[in-house]
Amino acid sequence: MNSQHRVYLHMTPVRIWHWLNAFGIVTLIVTGVQIRFPEYVVIFASYKSAIMLHNTAGLVVAASFSLWFFYYSFIARNMLKTYVPNEDELRHGILRQAKFYLLTYFLGWPNPHHPTPENKFNPMQKSAYLAIMFVLVPLVSLTGLLLTNVEPLRNLIILIGGLKILVGVHFLLACCLCAFLFTHVYLATLGHTAFAYIKPMWTGWEEEPETEQNAHDEPVSNHR
Amino acid sequence: MRSFRLLLCCGLLLGLTAFAAFAAASDDCLACHSDSATVGKAFAINPAIFDTTVHAQLGCPSCHTSVGAGHPDDGLPPSKASCQECHAEVAKEYAASSHHQNAACSDCHNPHQVRGPTEVSGADMNRTCSGCHELAAMATTHTTWLPQADLHIGMLPCISCHTASKENVITLYIIKRPAAARFGRFELAGYNELKALASHGKIEGLIDGNEDNYISLAELRLFNSDQERTGLRLQGMMTPETVTHNFQILANRRDCSFCHASGPAARQTSYLSLATSDGSYRRLPVERGAVLDALYGTPDFYMVGSTRSTALNYIGAVIIAGGLVVPIGHGTLRFLTRRNRANKED
Repeated sequence: MNSQHRVYLHMTPVRIWHWLNAFGIVTLIVTGVQIRFPEYVVIFASYKSAIMLHNTAGLVVAASFSLWFFYYSFIARNMLKTYVPNEDELRHGILRQAKFYLLTYFLGWPNPHHPTPENKFNPMQKSAYLAIMFVLVPLVSLTGLLLTNVEPLRNLIILIGGLKILVGVHFLLACCLCAFLFTHVYLATLGHTAFAYIKPMWTGWEEEPETEQNAHDEPVSNHR
Repeated sequence: MRSFRLLLCCGLLLGLTAFAAFAAASDDCLACHSDSATVGKAFAINPAIFDTTVHAQLGCPSCHTSVGAGHPDDGLPPSKASCQECHAEVAKEYAASSHHQNAACSDCHNPHQVRGPTEVSGADMNRTCSGCHELAAMATTHTTWLPQADLHIGMLPCISCHTASKENVITLYIIKRPAAARFGRFELAGYNELKALASHGKIEGLIDGNEDNYISLAELRLFNSDQERTGLRLQGMMTPETVTHNFQILANRRDCSFCHASGPAARQTSYLSLATSDGSYRRLPVERGAVLDALYGTPDFYMVGSTRSTALNYIGAVIIAGGLVVPIGHGTLRFLTRRNRANKED
C-alpha cells in the first residue's frame, strides 16, 4: 500500500528567499552572458538594458541573501545545524549519500536521507550549500558590488589586486553558480516523482512515500 | 638635369635661410617675452614649452606680421593671425558646431602651447573642457543616463563622445600615489617624479626593460606585478587618434554598444604614453592585444564586453561543462535503469 508521509519542510521566509534567489540568479546568468559576449548574444534590446537588469537582479539576490541570513541566524536559529555537516555526516553520511546517487538509486533503492524540519538536507546537500551560501554567493555579490562602484571603491579594488582580478573572480564564480544551477535543478527531479522535491519548495510540504523505515518513526523527527 | 639640381639646391638654401631667419626672429622675441617681469604675465611665453610646438617652427613673425624693428617703442599693437588662416578646415567644421557660439579657438587652445592629440594626456584633454565644464558637475549630469558616470568621465576624453573623433585606442599612463598619502588616490605621475624613480634616468626603462621603444606583454606583466616595489600603476584611457571639432551630443554615443559591443578585435591597439620634460607626452607602441590579457597586462583597465580574456572564457566553459556532467551522465543512466525503480514502486 502506498501511503504518504507529510513533512512541513520549508517555512514561508525560506521559500520566498529561494524563489527570489532563483529568479534573480537566472536573470543574472542570462544578462551576464549578454554583457560578456555582446557581439554574439543579444537577448535584451540594448546593452544598457542588460546592464541595468543585471545590476538590479544583483541587488535583489544580495537582498534575498540578507533575508536568508537574517532568518536562519535570528528567527529559526538553526543555521549551523542546517548547513554545517556534523562529524558523522562527514565520516559516513557523504559516502552513504554518494553511494545512493552513484549506485543504489539506479537499482531502485530508496534515498537513505529522510528530510525533517530539523535536518532538511542530506550530507552532500549540506556540504554543497555550505560552499554555495557561505563562499560563492557572498563572494559573487561582493565582487559585483565592487564592479558597480569602481570609481568610489577604487582603492579597495587596488588592494584586491586590480579590476582585472575582480572581473576574473566575478566571472569564474558566476560560471560555478551556473554549473551548480544545472546540477541543482537536475537533482531536484530525483525524488520519487519528478516534482516531489520541487513542490515542497513552493508549498512548504514534502510528501514521502511510506517506507518500512519511516513508518515506525514519529511523523516529524530526525530519521537518522 | 643639371639645372634641376641647381634649382633644388637653391630651394633648399632658401628654405634653410628662411627657417634660420624665423628662428633668429623668435629668439629675439623670446629674449623679452620669456620674462613675465619685463612684458607682464599676459604676454609672457614659456620657451621650454613653446620651442617644442609646431608653431615655434613657423616662428613668431609668421603670425605677428606687423611687428617691426621699432617694436615695442613704436607703440603699435602687434597683429595676430587668425587661426583659420592656416586651419581653414577646422574653423569651418567648428563654425558649424553648437560650441562655436560659446568659445573661440584661443579659449581652449593656447597657440604658444599647442600639442597634437597624441602628445597630451587624456587628463590634459579633459582639463581643457573643465575650464568651463567642471568635471564633478559633469559626472552628476551624466548620471541621469550613464551607469558609473564618474568612471566614464575619468577614463574617457570628453571629445570621444562629444565630437566625431575616431580611431579609438587604449592609452596607458603611469600613475602613483602622492608620497604623503598611503591610501590616497593615484594621480598622473609627472616627468620629474618618474625620472627620480628610473634607473639611469630614463623613464622608459621603468617598463621598457630592453629599451627597444616597444612594450611587450611580458614587460607589461613584469611592471604590473612589481607594484609593491615601484608604487606605480598604469591607468588606461580610451583616446581618439583623429580628433575633430564638430562639437555636438552624438546620439549613438548614448548607446553603450558603441564602445562595449565592438568586441576584443577592436581593442587590439594600445600605447604607453610617457611624460616628457617639456610637459608633453611621448608614446611607445604596446604589443597587440595586451589589454585583453587575463590579469597582469593592464590590471586596472577593463572595458566590460570588449576586453574580456579568452583564457578566462575557456576556464569558465570548462566549469559550466562540469556542471552539465551530472544532468547528462546521471540522467542517461537514470533513463536506462528506469525499470528498476518502476518495479520497486509496484
